[in-house]
Amino acid sequence: MSTVDLTQELSVIEGKPPLRELDDLISKPIDAKASKKFYIALTISGSMLSLLVIGLGLTFYYGIGMWGNNIPVGWAFDITNFVFWVGIGHAGTLISAILFLLRQKWRTGIARFAEGMTIFAVMTAGLFPLIHVGRPWLAAYLFPYPNQHSIWVNFDSPLLWDVFAVSTYFIVSLVFWYVGLIPDFATLRERTTHKIKKIIYSIFGMGWRFSNKHWQHYEMVYLILAGFATPLVLSVHTIVSFDFAVSILPGWHATIFPPYFVAGAVFSGFAMVQNVLIIVRKVFNYEHIITLDTLEKMNKIMLLTGSMVGYAYAMEFFIAWYSGLPIERFTFINRAFGPYAWAYWIMISCNVISPQLFWSRKIRRTIPVMFVIAIFVNIGMWFERFVIIVSSLSRDFLPSSWHLFVPTYTDFMILIGSFGFFFTWLLLFAKALPVVSMAEVKATVTGSQPSHGGH
Amino acid sequence: MSDSPKSSNKLWKSIKGYNDDPEVLNAKTNEFMEGVTDEFDSSKLSGISRRKFLAILSASAALTATACTDYRDKGEIIPYNKRPEDVMPGIANYYASTCNGCSQSCGILVKTREGRPIKIDGNPDHPINAGKICAKGQASILNLYDPERLTDPFELRKKTVWKSVDADVISALNDAQSSGKEISIVTGLITSPTTKKVLNDFVAKYPNTKIYSYSLTNDQQRRNAWMDSYGTDEYPAIKWKDADVILAIDADFLGNEGSSIENMREHTKRRETNGKTNFNRLYVAEGRMSVTGMLSDYRLRVSPDSQYEFVMALINELNNRGSAIALDANSKLKFEKYSLSKFESLVGKDKLNHLVNDLNANRGKSIVYAGDTLPKEVHVAVNLLNEVLGNTSLYDYSNSFKSLVKYSSAAEISQLVDSMKNGKVGVVIHFDSNPVFTLPEDFGYASALKKVKLVASLTEAENESSAAGNYSLPINDQLESWGDAYVRGGVYSLQQPVISPIFNTRQKEAVLLTWIAGGSSAFNEDIYHNYLMNSFNADVYSKANSFADAKTFWYSALNDGVVKVTEKVQPVKFNFASFNGLNDLTPSKDFVIHLHDNYFIGDGKYANNGWLQEIPHPVSKITWDNYAAVSPSTAKSLKVDSNDLLQVKVGNRSLTLPAFIQPGLADNFISIELGYGRTVIGEVGKEVGFNSISLMSKDAQPSPYIFSNASVTKAGGSHELVSTQEQHSLDDTFVKDFHRIRRIIQEGTVLKYIKEPNFLHEEKEKLFSITNEVQYTGNKWAMAIDLNKCTNCQVCVASCNVENNIAVVGKEQVSKGRVMQWIRLDRYYSGTPDEPIASNQPMLCQQCDNAPCENVCPVNATNHSPDGLNQMVYNRCVGTRYCSNNCPYKVRRFNFFNYRDSFADSYYENNLTSLVNNPEVTVRSRGVMEKCTFCIQRIMEARSNAIRDNKPLKGSDIVTACQQACPTNAITFGDANDPTSPVAKLRDHNLSYHVLEELNVKPNVTYIAKLRNTHSEEIL
Repeated sequence: MSTVDLTQELSVIEGKPPLRELDDLISKPIDAKASKKFYIALTISGSMLSLLVIGLGLTFYYGIGMWGNNIPVGWAFDITNFVFWVGIGHAGTLISAILFLLRQKWRTGIARFAEGMTIFAVMTAGLFPLIHVGRPWLAAYLFPYPNQHSIWVNFDSPLLWDVFAVSTYFIVSLVFWYVGLIPDFATLRERTTHKIKKIIYSIFGMGWRFSNKHWQHYEMVYLILAGFATPLVLSVHTIVSFDFAVSILPGWHATIFPPYFVAGAVFSGFAMVQNVLIIVRKVFNYEHIITLDTLEKMNKIMLLTGSMVGYAYAMEFFIAWYSGLPIERFTFINRAFGPYAWAYWIMISCNVISPQLFWSRKIRRTIPVMFVIAIFVNIGMWFERFVIIVSSLSRDFLPSSWHLFVPTYTDFMILIGSFGFFFTWLLLFAKALPVVSMAEVKATVTGSQPSHGGH
Repeated sequence: MSDSPKSSNKLWKSIKGYNDDPEVLNAKTNEFMEGVTDEFDSSKLSGISRRKFLAILSASAALTATACTDYRDKGEIIPYNKRPEDVMPGIANYYASTCNGCSQSCGILVKTREGRPIKIDGNPDHPINAGKICAKGQASILNLYDPERLTDPFELRKKTVWKSVDADVISALNDAQSSGKEISIVTGLITSPTTKKVLNDFVAKYPNTKIYSYSLTNDQQRRNAWMDSYGTDEYPAIKWKDADVILAIDADFLGNEGSSIENMREHTKRRETNGKTNFNRLYVAEGRMSVTGMLSDYRLRVSPDSQYEFVMALINELNNRGSAIALDANSKLKFEKYSLSKFESLVGKDKLNHLVNDLNANRGKSIVYAGDTLPKEVHVAVNLLNEVLGNTSLYDYSNSFKSLVKYSSAAEISQLVDSMKNGKVGVVIHFDSNPVFTLPEDFGYASALKKVKLVASLTEAENESSAAGNYSLPINDQLESWGDAYVRGGVYSLQQPVISPIFNTRQKEAVLLTWIAGGSSAFNEDIYHNYLMNSFNADVYSKANSFADAKTFWYSALNDGVVKVTEKVQPVKFNFASFNGLNDLTPSKDFVIHLHDNYFIGDGKYANNGWLQEIPHPVSKITWDNYAAVSPSTAKSLKVDSNDLLQVKVGNRSLTLPAFIQPGLADNFISIELGYGRTVIGEVGKEVGFNSISLMSKDAQPSPYIFSNASVTKAGGSHELVSTQEQHSLDDTFVKDFHRIRRIIQEGTVLKYIKEPNFLHEEKEKLFSITNEVQYTGNKWAMAIDLNKCTNCQVCVASCNVENNIAVVGKEQVSKGRVMQWIRLDRYYSGTPDEPIASNQPMLCQQCDNAPCENVCPVNATNHSPDGLNQMVYNRCVGTRYCSNNCPYKVRRFNFFNYRDSFADSYYENNLTSLVNNPEVTVRSRGVMEKCTFCIQRIMEARSNAIRDNKPLKGSDIVTACQQACPTNAITFGDANDPTSPVAKLRDHNLSYHVLEELNVKPNVTYIAKLRNTHSEEIL
């Protein structure tokens, strides 16, 4: 085993590939004709997406009654899915903005893809606040627009904060993503011989000429946007958690929710990014760009955030006991031993126990194992939201109004369909745009930056 | 302006004006303030001329008008330019009438809007029901608008006309008469003296006619016993409010037996907590779990087959301590062999001692009351027990229960069936009755009916009996009918139509009158109206000793809906022979089956009424079903759980139906409600529940409702029973007694209350708010509910349903937890599975001052009014359901579907049924949240009246629908800011509390804690 020189910064990508070769490799999926595998994948995700279309069609035609929701469980799969997908959307901006500001160079290989996932995840998440309402054709009431009734939205409502938080996050993420793409659009423009493609790339390339001045402005804009996006990473899920924390329902009404939700979001976001990237690096032969080292670092973040989430679970129980409120205490005992105990223990084993395996370096660096663990994390994080929402609602203050929630086919169609929606976008993205930032990766190749080394 | 204001009597607006302030004078002379007209420049005005402006205006008006042609409401709009007399659009009219729902014939007050009846309440002038009616009466308005009513006469399921029906029937009647065959009229209970007259006329015209009267649940056993004991079958009413101790023996007198509305009212007069606590003490000895049992202070589990022994043992025990009546030796011999010691182990020694001591100590001020389903023998024994105790002073003979047409005995009905089988019956007329369904199968009535040439069924909707005959003849609903009723001594009530017949229906008496007249041409709309008037003049006017002339008297009687006359009371004396000759009843060693009346659908008559099917059972909270209730330990020994099918066998009759584990039931005992399982009925009632009449027999002895030789086995399979409240086992320590731990139900005992009147508030902490509270000046609406008076009768639910256009959602949706009722009655158990203590609580929107639903609504669809109401703006609601999630009382209701068209294939979406809607209340559609509004439409009506009369709006001007309907006046509504109002006083009552007070949401529904009148200071 070779000794690692800890005084030297680790190389972000393996080896020292020629820059031209990197361009070729990254733009290969875009240039080449789509393979059979791609179409198979697209068919699968498209079929899943069609389930969403059917599920939504049924919901819009007949009403929310197609779902299993009831009184008292006013929210179930709908808001569970919403919070889940918003959570998934957290890794991208975290990787591109916060890690950028922290000068974590290893992010370059995965940043673009993670940002893409953020955008699609937020798009998926954004569906749910709109479709979960009883009268979706009036969803515009959720936006503050001047109207002849002089009715304004209710700024006291966390649900309204959600609307702003999520839409702001989406817009900023989209702009950030696009700005990062500009140099790559220019590269593609230069490379392509296809006439129409050239026009499209020219438009999106915005006249980028790789000039020194351009790079200067670009770096500055990117830095500012990173600075701008960073607080959003924390604020979005904080505000999503307010949906619960601001209410008076036992199991929701907890001050720990903002940090707990943000940690959970990063946790699930990284798990999803790791899952998808493992496939991408294999399919597109990016093993040396998205290196095992990078994956290991992601696993470390999962270990950290997973432990934070585990701590939050424990703290919720402690506070429920410490509060001395019988209703609060019952809510948590009911979570662990009540009718939804199965969901609770799925959550605990997936979210708290499984990431602890990452303490082992070997597991952190074994791709099949980490892949499975990340899948568990995603399952666990979906169940976390389900447990919080459904188990708290189903047994609240008055035992007379308790009622269990049983999901319907439509619920599952929409759940599966939301994955279809997400992956369809992701597949189209992988085919249409460079999934790794060419400009950034090239900049991290050893020797690409002017340096005094060797002199 | 020249003369000085000081020198004249001119009015002045301000001190400044009075003092001739130059500023004011200046302002007076200049129309516009300084600077206002500076920027006025006529050249900058629009160049459009007046002509042009008008042209544009008219063009846009025309455009708007044409645009409106595609307005989605394409219903016909008829101008109300020929206004009927006394009808003012937007103003309701009220008519007094009489309810035909059951044998009690309560006086009702029908509210109509623009000629359309929309609400039924009790007639306040009626001496018996005094302004209140039961849930069935409340919801029966839906029957008028039932789209599955018969619209026309049908002959063999084919539409026909009355003329041909009349001709066919009259010729058949004449044939039968001439060939010496019997003409049978099968009717339910006759409560109308005029109907009786019509029947008599019919018999006079067709002398071969025989009248048969039968109803599924009835008071025949009580009447028979009274006949034996006192020589009359007209038994007295009970002066409940004078009773200090009540022992109800399998008698649901506060639930569905007898004059329950009157009983509830009189009973709860002894549950007042203002001033002195002069409570009565209610003992209930029963096998099933009835509403009365839930309300009891002491409940003794005695299965109905042991009741005879129980009463005999009580007589023995209490007679040993003295008797108010001289007993002969034979009587003593009869009861001396019974001893209470047998019951000590069954019901507990303490309870039994309390009972005996209380009855003994309150001789003359107590009452023992047996239930309608118990055999005659028990009733006779109870009669003697009351004699022994000297309780006969509590019998009220002035309002005794009259009997116009006696019920036919089983032998008479058997004879009818035999005659039918032998072809001796020419015509059978079902006179608004359904014997094919309600008669026990072993009479063989249905098969015998096939032998009858002509079977004419006068019915509102097709039923089992009409389907078995050849003529289905549609009759008027009670709201389209004339009629009268005489069921209680000294009380005649009148029924008048409040709407002309919607369909081609006829008054059932008019049909007979036409047949009596012998030709279809004799019929006219007023035929029975005139007959009734004449009959009324002859019978009632003469009795009433009125100074008015007959016509005036008639109209004033019609206006009041009721006429009170004084009748002479015959003294009665207990006949010992009735007691001495009793067959001794011995308790069973097998399973005991107890069949009894249901609470809401009558003998199946209301089974097609969705509102009634969906009202939760007062005890089990189950909707849309009946079931075999078994005790927890019996369920264990049968190895069944709720929903598992049980096969119940009595002799060769059997029924398979789901079990339901009911805490508090006697062991080896099953109680089943009657009236379910209709087969020939509309969409709503089809296949709802199980027909337990199939267990009944023509020769069931001693009571047709109690079977002591039954066997019960697990049948395999299951049937889902749906309830509006989760059923938790009382053994389940995980969720046990939460209503007490969370202080949702706060209770005490009378002894405790007398000792420490403030016991409820002793450990109460003062809550403070961290924000500035909104101050309510002016009116602030509030409600108080006295849990001492709430009897769990569900009338408030029914009344609210009708008043507020509550949708029916159907069994499947109830099972999903989507019932729409705005007010619900929560039921909690504490104690043990065998001896549960039930607590009830009406729960509705608490109209919190700090309403948690309001701040979470993103679109401001729910907000607060200045008079303290938590408002719901349907038009603004997008349906996030966040408000419901954040409501600690979970009283908000969401339209998961458009319930008007989703239930049973758009059942409620038709032109007819929508007429039942209250025009003052929005019909909510899909995706909208709704909840109790404190009847805002009634508040608004009172407000506009107050504005019109230039008076301040007072809380007493407003009566909410639930308050109006509550038979015991447990609900008080009013202005919390008016310190003299009853509701403000109740808010300060030392028994008042709010549910979930510690949340500081500041609810405006105050509950008055229930006191139990036990011999202890502790509840459990």
